Amino acid sequence: MRKTKTSIDSPRILILGIGNVLMGDEGVGVHVVNALDEAAFPPNVECLDGGVGSFLLLEPMQSVDKVILIDATIDGQEPGSVRRLTPKFSTDYPNTLTAHDIGLKDLLDAFYLMGTAPEVVLYAVSISGLQDMVMDLSPVLRPVVSKVAKMVTAEAAIPPVTVRSSPICA
Amino acid sequence: MTRIVVDPVTRIEGHLRIEAVVEGGKITDAFSAGTMVRGIEKILKGRDPRDAWAFVERVCGVCTTVHALASVRTVEDAIGISVPKNAELVRNLMFCTQFIQDHVIHFYHLHALDWVDVVSALSADPEETSKIARTLSNWPKTSPGYFSDLQKRLKAFVDSGQLGIFANGYWGHPAFKLPKEVNLIGVAHYLEALEWQKEVVKIHTIFGGKNPHPNYLVGGVPCSFNLEEVNAINTEKLNFVAKLINDAVDFVEKVYIPDLMAIAGFYKDWAAIGGGLSNYLAYGDLPTKGYAYPEYFKFQRGAILDRDLTRVYDVNGKDENEIKEYIAHSWYKYEGGDTVGLHPWKGETEFNFTGPQPPYEQLNVEGKYSWLKTPRWKDNPMEVGPLARLLVGYGKGNAEIKEVVDEALKKLDVPVTALFSTLGRTAARGLETRLIARWIQEFFKELQDNLKSGEMKTHNGEKWDPSTWPAECEGVGLSEAPRGALAHWIKIKDKKIENYQLVVPSTWNASPRDVNGKRSAYEEALIGTPVAKEGEPLEIIRTIHSFDPCLACAVHLYDPDGKHIHQVTVN
Repeated sequence: MRKTKTSIDSPRILILGIGNVLMGDEGVGVHVVNALDEAAFPPNVECLDGGVGSFLLLEPMQSVDKVILIDATIDGQEPGSVRRLTPKFSTDYPNTLTAHDIGLKDLLDAFYLMGTAPEVVLYAVSISGLQDMVMDLSPVLRPVVSKVAKMVTAEAAIPPVTVRSSPICA
Repeated sequence: MTRIVVDPVTRIEGHLRIEAVVEGGKITDAFSAGTMVRGIEKILKGRDPRDAWAFVERVCGVCTTVHALASVRTVEDAIGISVPKNAELVRNLMFCTQFIQDHVIHFYHLHALDWVDVVSALSADPEETSKIARTLSNWPKTSPGYFSDLQKRLKAFVDSGQLGIFANGYWGHPAFKLPKEVNLIGVAHYLEALEWQKEVVKIHTIFGGKNPHPNYLVGGVPCSFNLEEVNAINTEKLNFVAKLINDAVDFVEKVYIPDLMAIAGFYKDWAAIGGGLSNYLAYGDLPTKGYAYPEYFKFQRGAILDRDLTRVYDVNGKDENEIKEYIAHSWYKYEGGDTVGLHPWKGETEFNFTGPQPPYEQLNVEGKYSWLKTPRWKDNPMEVGPLARLLVGYGKGNAEIKEVVDEALKKLDVPVTALFSTLGRTAARGLETRLIARWIQEFFKELQDNLKSGEMKTHNGEKWDPSTWPAECEGVGLSEAPRGALAHWIKIKDKKIENYQLVVPSTWNASPRDVNGKRSAYEEALIGTPVAKEGEPLEIIRTIHSFDPCLACAVHLYDPDGKHIHQVTVN
C-alpha cells in the first residue's frame, strides 16, 4: 500500500525504524531511517519511519519477506553500542526494548503460530535511559546514526534465508 | 491483607502501575499511577500552530490519528476556521477506521485472553466447536477441519515450549468459565482478527497519505479527489475503500459481535463487578453539520452524574469552571500551590518528581504518586470511554444507540444497570463498534455522492496565512479517542504557540486521587472486585483491561510489608 514499485520475483525487504522522536535518543531508529536515501535502494527495498506505530506496523511487516528493524534499547550497554540480533520469539528480544513496541513484538509470536512471520533482523542501539521530551539526539548518539545507516544498507543486500509458509487464516 | 502491584516498570518503562489492597478475598483499596512522564507541551511552545498535529500525533502509537484530529480542531477553533463538507467526511472516515481497528484489536488481542482459556482450547472437540460456531453466525470459517488444523498447530506451538503470546496467561484459573469449544473459537478469531486488522487500516493510508502517523491539515484534509486522475484519490481507490469498509462491517457483525455476546453470556457475574464511578463524561464526535454543532454529532456531548440517565448535563470545554486539572497527588507543581485546580488554558507543566527511583516496592500514596494530573469536571471524578459515550447517547434518547444497547440487554437478559460494570464497559466497546460500522458506510456514501456531483473541495484556505490571524487567540478541540474523551487546548500569541495542553482519556480514568481524596475511575472500579488467587490476580486485569489501557503490564504480587513474593507477566 505504501508504494508499488516492488517486482514480483524479488524478496521484499523492509527497513523499519521505530521509536519516539519526541523523546530524544529513544527515537534513534527513526533518525536512522530518515538518514537513508530510499531512492538509492533497489525497488524491492522499502524504508519506513514506523514512529510509535505499534499495531499499525503489523501490516507493513506482514507484507514483506524480511524486516530490518532498528530500535533503541536500554540494556545497560555503553550508549551508542549497536547489536545485530535475529530474534525469533518475543522472548528473544532484549527485554528492555522500549515501551512503544511491546505489543508489536508480542504479536509477532502470533505470526509464527500462523506461519506468516517475516524474517526479522534487529539492530538494537543502546541508549542511556528514557529521555526528557526533546527532539534532538544526544551528542553520543548523533554519530551512531550514519554508522547504523551503513550497517542496515549492507543488511538490505542480504536476501532473506527463510521461505514463508502459507497462512492458515488468510 | 495483601498488596498486589500491577506494574510494567521493572519490565519496561510504561504508563501504568496499579497497587491494590486485598482483604478477605476482595479489593478494599487501590491506587493507579502513571509512571511515564509527558511533556509534549514543552516541545510545542513557540512552534507554528499549523504544525502542532505532526508532533502530538507521535505522543501515542495507538491513538495517533485522533491526536492529530484534536490538534487541527483546536487550531481551527482558535483561529475561526470551518472545514468543507468533504473534509468533515474524510476526517470521520479516518476516525471510524481507527475505532473499528482499535476496538477489534483491544477485544481479541488485549482483552479476550482475560476470558478465553487458551490451554483449555487444546482439548476442545473440533466437531462440537464447528456446531457451536455455526449457531453464532454465518461466518465461513467454521468447518471441523478448520478448527482441527488450528488446534494441531496450536498444540505444536505449545509443545515447542515457546508459548509466545500465550505465555503470560493464568491458564486454568478458576475464574475462566467458557466451555473448551468456545475457547477454541476465541483463539481462532484471535488469529483471524490479526490477519483482518492489517487490511482496514489501509483506509488511513489512502486518505492520510501514509501510515503510521497519517497526514492532517489545518482547514481541511490533505488529499485531493479526482475520479479520473491516476495520482489523486480516484474511482479505483474509492472502490478499494468500499471493499475495505464492507470487509470491516462483515467482520464486526459476523465475528466480533457474536463472540462478544457468546462470551458475555458465560460471564454475567461480571455485570455486577467493576462498576466504579457513577459519573460519565463524553465530548462526543463524528460531526454531521460541522464541529460547531455538537447536537448533530453521532456521538453526543454531555455528562451524567450519579448514574441518572434521565439527565444529561451540557459540557463546555471553554468554561474555566468546568474542566480543571489537580496535582495534589501528581509529580508537578503549580505556581498557586498543590490545592488549586487549573483549566487547561491556564495549565502549567512544571515537573516536581518526589517519588522513589524505579524499581521501587511501594508508592508513597499519601503524597504524590503519579505522573498523571487529576482532571475533574465541576470537581467530579468522571469515567470516559465507550461506556460513557453510549450512556450519554442513551440518556439523550439517541435512537440508534438505544436500539443496539436495548437489543444487547434483551439478548443477555440483563437490566440496564448491568452496563455499570466491567462487562458493561467491554460490551459497550463492541456495541459502539457496531454503530461505527454503520456510520462509516453512511459517511462514505455521502462522500461518493458529493464527488459524483462535482463537489471536490477538501480545504478551506481563507485563514491559512498567519497575517489573517488575531494577535492573540485561544481554542479547544474536543474529540473522542477509542479509550475516551480527548481534548487539546491552545493559546496562540504572535502567530506562535504560547501554551498547549492535552487532557487525554487515560488521565481521566487512570489518574490518582484528587485534592479531596476522591478516587478516579480505575481506582474506584477495583473496589469490591473479588480476587480468587492472589498469585494470579486475573480479576484486576479484567477490570483494568475493560478500560482499554494503552500498554501491556507486568504483574507483581507483594505481601503486606511490601516484600516481593511473586511475579507474573501479563499482557
